[in-house]
Amino acid sequence: MSGGIAITGVGAVSAVGGNVPALTAALLEGRCGIAPLTLFPYQGRSALAAQVPEGVTVPGTLPAVTARRLSRPDRFALAAASEACRDAGLDGALRHDAALALGATTGGMFESEEAYRQRQTGEAGCFRLSRLLGTSITTAASVVSQTLGIYGPQTTVSTACSSSALAIALAADAIRRGRARVAVALGTDGLCRLTYAGFDALQALDPEACRPFDAGRRGLSLGEGAGALVLEDVAHARARGVRPRALLLGHATGTDAHHVTAPHPEGVGALVAFRGALAAAGLPPEAIDYVNAHGSGTRQNDAVEVAVLRAVLGSRLARVPVSSTKSQLGHTLGAAGALEAVVTVLALDAGILPPTVGLRRPDPSFGELDLVPTPGRRLPLAVAASSSYGFGGHNVTLVLGRGEVP
Amino acid sequence: MTEPVAVTGVGVVSALGHGAEAFWAGLLGGVSGLRPIRRFALPSGAPILGGEVPPIAVADVARSAIGRRIDWVSLLALAACRLALQDAGLDPARLAPARTALGLGSAWGNLRETTVFLDRLFARGAGNPLLFPNLVFNAPLSYASIELGITGPTAMVAAQEASGEAAIAWGADVIEDDAADVCLAGGAEELGPVVHQVLRETGVTTSGVPRPLDPAADGACLGEGAAVLVLEPLARARARGAKVYARLSASSGRAVPAPVHGWPRDPAPVAETLRPLVRDADLVMAAASGNPALDALEAAALTAAFGERRVLVTSVRGTIGDFGAVGALAAAAAVLAVDSGLVPPTLGLVPPARAGLDVVVGRARRAPVRVAVVDGLARGGFCCPLRLEAA
Repeated sequence: MSGGIAITGVGAVSAVGGNVPALTAALLEGRCGIAPLTLFPYQGRSALAAQVPEGVTVPGTLPAVTARRLSRPDRFALAAASEACRDAGLDGALRHDAALALGATTGGMFESEEAYRQRQTGEAGCFRLSRLLGTSITTAASVVSQTLGIYGPQTTVSTACSSSALAIALAADAIRRGRARVAVALGTDGLCRLTYAGFDALQALDPEACRPFDAGRRGLSLGEGAGALVLEDVAHARARGVRPRALLLGHATGTDAHHVTAPHPEGVGALVAFRGALAAAGLPPEAIDYVNAHGSGTRQNDAVEVAVLRAVLGSRLARVPVSSTKSQLGHTLGAAGALEAVVTVLALDAGILPPTVGLRRPDPSFGELDLVPTPGRRLPLAVAASSSYGFGGHNVTLVLGRGEVP
Repeated sequence: MTEPVAVTGVGVVSALGHGAEAFWAGLLGGVSGLRPIRRFALPSGAPILGGEVPPIAVADVARSAIGRRIDWVSLLALAACRLALQDAGLDPARLAPARTALGLGSAWGNLRETTVFLDRLFARGAGNPLLFPNLVFNAPLSYASIELGITGPTAMVAAQEASGEAAIAWGADVIEDDAADVCLAGGAEELGPVVHQVLRETGVTTSGVPRPLDPAADGACLGEGAAVLVLEPLARARARGAKVYARLSASSGRAVPAPVHGWPRDPAPVAETLRPLVRDADLVMAAASGNPALDALEAAALTAAFGERRVLVTSVRGTIGDFGAVGALAAAAAVLAVDSGLVPPTLGLVPPARAGLDVVVGRARRAPVRVAVVDGLARGGFCCPLRLEAA
């Protein structure tokens, strides 16, 4: 991927706010979006989540009747994609031929659960078909493409927590193959009972706000939201006078073929992904200035991830800041790869190191790591990596570089 | 110049039985796979037809520890993977893990255990930790990659009714990019009671038999199944002396204007997408299911795309029902049609077909099929055509 692909726009909806300025402010302040779960009643090991606040709005071009029926993750996706397209200055003609790649895991599950519950308890006589059709994880791509007029190549993928990192990789591939000059890559997911109760049943939820890489970490905190990026052929961005916020220099995937929920103990797939992304970028490990970790906060994940970083970065690891955005936004599952890519772009663009918030006592077995405790700090970065590990052993690493002035 | 993609293996589990032979024999023989649904109780007394896959012995398909927990849709996918590898003459134990890829499509994933999980959650306030891993949307991908030891590129793809085509298109890209030597690509879908009930109550499904491309059609029948194709670089397939069924070309699907939950209203953009692909096609494997909105759109789009040419059209959905990954089975049928020069009939259609299309009915038709196109239409405005060409 010589020269990389320009990232010319970003959009974000998360627990810390409905747009990129809110996210940037939260990164600088080290604000945590994890708070009591209010979306649905649930009594279990945890009662916390990084829930998107009310009032995230969707663009006014949708018929009101359609807008009302959209599932929460479809609304998040539309808001984030709209912001990214605005940020990149994409007009209707540029959007028309753009590719769209989206990652998600549960679609409108929350709304479907509610309809199903009402039906089972006799509160409602029949399902609303629109609710059920909105369950599909494909709906978000339709909502975004039909509302914003994006009619290029389209794909929706789901590899659990690496879904939207894979979507970014596929969007970049569409540009590399010449199928599109511009691509919108995004991830979206909403909180729902299924994932909340499921992760809780696996004892994977921390009763407190998650503390990635902390000695006392007890699991993850679930979150929700959407992240979106506009990817663009570098020459195309230059020709229209747009300064890239960052460059996607390389990406790669790696599969564990080990277990449906647990990562491979040595992180074989994650290692393949990280090394592959560096190779695709044509960069040595020494080039990495910052790692936006998967950092879910489970005992197993963080240990495997540090082992992978040690294998890739060796003794240099102590000098490479590593932080987990999930400490602020929770684990947003299908949205995580894209939201964390947006955070990495902001880090490169603004020269900020996003913090790992909530650290009390870093795990001594990760002793050498610079985990960027709150409130983060400013540091000019040239190259950064963002890794995402998905259930079933589907791992993706993206290597990003600072954008150049055209 | 990218390496041409060869289809060297076909694996299918459908209402017509297990294996591509049962599938193809049933399609050619005009045998309906649709029978009164037995897997779950239906509220009304009248029998409702559906395309259920006959039971699969887990131990035949899942030989590792995953067999203890694997769910039905994952089992369908894995069964199709194993059948496809066997058909291609490839021993799973001898695949190079990092040079083997896997792409699976599904619109809904695990439907049945999702409702079981939610029932317990609503009744007892707690989720079942043993079920949850199966409800992760990419569980079929995880199970199959673990069982077959695949560590190369993997993707679970969703695209409503074109989920199978979209996964196969992803697989073609992987081979063209030389990112793998062998790619298993296809899709799987299961029939679940809640979706079935809702679609029936809302009039999407028919209470009789589905009549694809028949102007009198009043709905589809739901089915389930899986199909997986083995894709390889043509040169490699030839070098190992593999049977090459067909060459595949695809380019990831495109969006076309449509209501977000519905079928495109304007056939013109669909026709425009299909025109270059059907230019020299002998056969189109249609998406038509007996759903009037889909069938009308497709008939208009195909007519416009064909222009003056007469092109044979058929649909498998009158035989095995409609479901998210059915396009993978349509692609398998297209591969077999190219290979055999036989076109299976569309069950349920009483001619004349919509828009005067030349739809094969009654008996299978012998015809030279050098190029077959699966048009890959999906709700929400997505079109993911696959083109299969004689090798």
